[in-house]
Amino acid sequence: MVPPTAFKRIVPLVLVLALMAPLTAQAQDEGLKIKVDQPEMTLTVGETAQISAQVVDAYGVDQQKRLFYFSTNRRAVSVSRTGEVTAHKPGTYALLVRMNREISTQVTVNVPYPPVERVTIVGTPHHVYEGTRVALVSEVEDATGAMRDNVTVRMTSSDPSVASIDSFNRLTAHKPGQVTITAEAEGAQTETALAVVVNPIAQVRLSGGQPEARTGDVLTFAARASDDGGNAIDDAPILFTVHADPDDPLAPSASAQIDQQGRFVAETPGFYTVVASAGSLSDQTTVRVEPRNVRREIELIGQGAVGEVHTSDLWVWEGVDGRDYAVTGTWNADGEAYFWDVTDAATPALIDTVTVDARTVNDVKVSEDGSLCIISREGASNRKNGIVLLDCTNPYDVKIISEFTENLTGGVHNLFIYQNHVFALSAGQRYDIINIDDPAQPHRVGSFELDTPSHAIHDVWVEDGIAYSSNWSDGVVMVDVGNGIAGGSVTNPVKIGSYAYPSGWNHAAFPYKSKDTGKFYIIAGDEAFPDGKPAGWIHFIDFTDPQNPKEVARYEVPEAGTHNMWVEDDKLYVAYYQGGLRVVDISGDLMGDLYKQGREIAKYQAADPKGKIPNSPMAWGPQPYKGRIFFSDMNSGLWIVKIKGDEEKPGL
Amino acid sequence: MRTAIRILSLLFPLIAGSWTAQAQSYYVYVAAESEDQVAVVRFDGAQVEVVKTIEVGQWPTEIEGPHGMTVSPDGEHWYLSIAHGLPYGKVVKYKTGTDEKLGEAELGLFPASMQISPVTGLLYVVNFNLHGKMEPSSVSIVDPEMMIEVARTTTGIMPHGSRLTPDGLKHYSAAMMSGELFEIDAMTFEVTRRLHTGTGKAMPAMMADAEAHTHKPGMTMPMDDGAKPPKPTWVQPHPLKPLAYVANNGIDEIVEVDLESWTIARRFKTEGAPYNLDVSPDGRYLVASLKAAGATGIIDLSTGEEIARIANSRKVTHGVVMSPDNRYAFISVEGIGGEPGSVDVIDLQTTTLVATAEIGKQAGGIAFWKMER
Repeated sequence: MVPPTAFKRIVPLVLVLALMAPLTAQAQDEGLKIKVDQPEMTLTVGETAQISAQVVDAYGVDQQKRLFYFSTNRRAVSVSRTGEVTAHKPGTYALLVRMNREISTQVTVNVPYPPVERVTIVGTPHHVYEGTRVALVSEVEDATGAMRDNVTVRMTSSDPSVASIDSFNRLTAHKPGQVTITAEAEGAQTETALAVVVNPIAQVRLSGGQPEARTGDVLTFAARASDDGGNAIDDAPILFTVHADPDDPLAPSASAQIDQQGRFVAETPGFYTVVASAGSLSDQTTVRVEPRNVRREIELIGQGAVGEVHTSDLWVWEGVDGRDYAVTGTWNADGEAYFWDVTDAATPALIDTVTVDARTVNDVKVSEDGSLCIISREGASNRKNGIVLLDCTNPYDVKIISEFTENLTGGVHNLFIYQNHVFALSAGQRYDIINIDDPAQPHRVGSFELDTPSHAIHDVWVEDGIAYSSNWSDGVVMVDVGNGIAGGSVTNPVKIGSYAYPSGWNHAAFPYKSKDTGKFYIIAGDEAFPDGKPAGWIHFIDFTDPQNPKEVARYEVPEAGTHNMWVEDDKLYVAYYQGGLRVVDISGDLMGDLYKQGREIAKYQAADPKGKIPNSPMAWGPQPYKGRIFFSDMNSGLWIVKIKGDEEKPGL
Repeated sequence: MRTAIRILSLLFPLIAGSWTAQAQSYYVYVAAESEDQVAVVRFDGAQVEVVKTIEVGQWPTEIEGPHGMTVSPDGEHWYLSIAHGLPYGKVVKYKTGTDEKLGEAELGLFPASMQISPVTGLLYVVNFNLHGKMEPSSVSIVDPEMMIEVARTTTGIMPHGSRLTPDGLKHYSAAMMSGELFEIDAMTFEVTRRLHTGTGKAMPAMMADAEAHTHKPGMTMPMDDGAKPPKPTWVQPHPLKPLAYVANNGIDEIVEVDLESWTIARRFKTEGAPYNLDVSPDGRYLVASLKAAGATGIIDLSTGEEIARIANSRKVTHGVVMSPDNRYAFISVEGIGGEPGSVDVIDLQTTTLVATAEIGKQAGGIAFWKMER
C-alpha cells in the first residue's frame, strides 16, 4: 500500500516543480526570435538551397541555439534536418524553422511551373470542307517533359476569311484556300497548314434507329454523306443533334441525348427529332418515345426479424438436404452469425447461431456444394481476426471447423468462395487466396495487391476464373485467377484490366454479360457518406474490350446511397441503403441514367417498428433466389419479397 | 513577470487542491475502438460517470477504430488516432471541452498511440500496422497546428507505445514483433538508438502474430537461442530520472532501461501479459495494465516489487493513465464481443478499485485531461 502521508508531502512539491519547469524555460527564451536570411525563396523543380537561420536575442546576437526544420508539404518541397531545401513540385509552400513550439518562423518557397517547351496541334485533318466546323485539339509539354493541362492555348488563323477560329479553338471553314493555324502557349508556339477545299457533299442521309421506342431504349443511327455522284465521303464531319418535344412541356429537363456515334436514348416520353448534319446539309428523322412501363409491385413474403443487433450480409443456398437456408451476419455486435431455414419463405425460422470472438461478422459465404460456410471477423478481442470455417452440412447444427488468421489479423471485411479457395481481404490493401481443400487445414496459396500509391480494396467477387475487385480510387480490377485469359491462376493472379472513376467511391463490383447485346459490363457500386448520409450510384462500365473499358450508363437514386448488388436475368438488384431494395431493368443496350429513364422495376423499403433502429430502412445486400428476392437490412434482419407476377423457380 | 504571476495564481489552487484530493474532479478522455466513440469520463473522488459521448466515426456503416489518444501539453486540444481508412488511418484534432473537430491528417497503417513533445510541439504517432505482414513500420511526426505529417521515421515491426522524455527531446516506441526499443531524436526525427528488450538475441519475427494483444496468450515464436520473443508493447519514460520502462508482453516482464548507458538495468517479473504502462508523476510507482490477467499491477519502483494487483471490471485490460496528483490510475478495459468497455478508477492509496464507468465497446486509448475543483 502507498502510505497516505507520502501523498500529502509529495503532491505539492511535484506540482510546483512540474509547473515551474515551463515557467523557467519560458523565461529563458523570452525575447528570443529566429532570424532567417531569406524568408522567401524561389527555386525551380529539382533545385536546392540552404536555409540560413539563427536564434537571436533582442540585440540580434546569435544565441547558438539548435534549430529544426520541416516542410508543410514534403512531397512538393522537402527540407533536410540541416535546412537544405529541395523543390519537387510547382506551387507555393511553407517551411517551418523552429527552436521550440513557441519560437518558430516560416520560410516561403515559390516553385514556378517549368516553362512550356512544346505545344502541338493534334488530330487536325490536312483539309476541311468549306462550310463545316472542326474542333482543334492541342497538347502542351513543359521543360520537364510533363504534359500540362493548366495552360491556356490560343489558336489563330492566318486568314480568317478562309477559316476563322473562335475563343474555344473551334474552326469554321468559310471558303476554299490555304491557312496557317498557329497555336501559342506561354511563349511556345507551333504552326500547321490547313487547306479549306470545295465542299463535295451533296447529300446527308440518316439511317438506323427505329420510329418508336421506350424510354431507356438505346437506338443507333448512322449518317452517310455523299457527293453528286452518290459516292460516299467518309471524312465528312457529321454532327448528330436531337430536338426534343416531350409530352410534358412544362419546364422540361434535358430529356434525351445522342452521342457522336449516333447512339440515342430518351428519358421522358415525347417526340424526338434526330438530326445529322455536315455543314449546311442535314437529314432528320423523328422518333416517338413511349413510357417504358416496367413498374411492378413487390409483395412481402416473410421476414426473419433481427431487432437486437445490426444485420450485415446474407447468403441463401440450397442445403445438401434439398431444403433452402440462409445465413446472415451481424454488425458491431457480439460476433454472431444466424442460420435460417427459409424453405417456407413466409416463415423463416432461426435454426442455429454461431458465436465467434468478434464484434462484426461482416461477410458470410457458402460453398457451391452447400456444405461449408465461411464468415469474416472484425473486432476480435485477441486482435487475431481472420476467417472462421463452419460445417453447415446440417444448418440446424453448424459446427466450427477451423479458423485462419495468418496475415489477416487486422480484420477481414469481405470474402468470396470459389472452387475450394477463399478470397479474403486483408489490411484493406489486398486479397489473399486460401486453399480449403481440407477445411480443417486452410493454407494460403496466392495473393493479389495493386502497386498504385495508397491503394485500397473493399470487396472481391469471383466468376469463371476471374476475380472482380472493388478498389475505391483504383476502381474495378479484373484479375485472372484461373480463367486462363491472361495466364493467371490462384497461385499466380494476373491482372487483366481495370477502370477507375473520379469520385474514388468504388465499393462493389459485379460482372454482367448482356444476352441482348453480347456486351460485357462490370457493374460498379459506390459507397460514400459525403454529408454523413449514404450517397453514390451504380456505374455501368462496358468491359467488352478489357483494355479499353468505357463507362456508359448509371443508375442513381438521388436521395439514397448504394451498397451491395446482384444481377440475374437482365435485372439488377441493389441494396440502396436508406432507399431500400431496388430492382432495375438492365435489358438491351445501356446508356445514360437508367433511373431517369424509368428502368426501375420495383422498390421495397423494409421497416420494422421493432428494428434496431425502428422503422428505418437500411438495405445491406440482395440475393435473388428461386424467383424470390432475399435481402438483409441493417436495422431489421432478413427479408423475403417477390415481384408480383414473377414465377417462382423451385427447381433452381 | 506577469506570466509568472499568472502561473503562480494557477498553481496555488492546484497545490491547495492536492491536499484535499477528494474534492477534485478528474477528467479523462477514453476511446471505444469498436464503437467509434470517445467518452469524457469524470471522477469526483467517489463516483465516476460518463459526462459526454462524442461520435468520432465518419462512416455510419463501418467501424473505423479510434485507438490512441493524447491531450496537448496546454490542455487545449485532444488528438485521436483512427486505425482504419482507405487503407491508411489518420489522426484527428479536437478542441477540449467543446470537442469540436478541428482537423485531421492521414498517416500510415493502423496509427495507434501518440504524444506531443513539449519542446518541438510536434505530435509523434506510431503506425502500429497489426495486419500481419512482418515488415518494419514507422513513427509519423505531425505538426498539430496545421495537422500535416511532416516526417515519417522507419522503426521496427508493429511499433506501439509512443512516449517522450519529460524534456521532450527523445521519443521512444516499442516494436512488438521485432522485440526492440527505438529512440528517435525529436528534433532530427532520426533513430538514434535501438535496444533488444528480450533475454535472448534480437531476431525479427518471421511470421504473423498479433498475440501480444491477446488476453489469452498461446504459442510464441521461437528465437535463435531458444528464448521467447519479448513482444514489447509499451515504453514509459520515468518522469524524473533517465530511465524508461518497457512492457515485455510476450514474456510477462517489465524491464527498466537506463537511458544513459542504454542498457537494461532491472527486470521485473510481471505475470499476466503487461501491456500499457504509466509512472506516477512523483516517479515512485509504475502502473501496468495486465491484459491477459484482466488486472492492473502496481509496482514500487524503489524495490521493483509488485505491491498490488487489482482485478479489473472485465477482461482485456488495455490502457492506463495516472492523475497528476499521483492519487488515481484510470484504466481502460476492452471487454469481449458485445460487452461494453469500461473505465476503472484505482486508488493508489488504498490500492483498490474504487469506481467503474461503462463506455462503448473495446475501451482502449485513454488520456488525462484535467483536474478541476
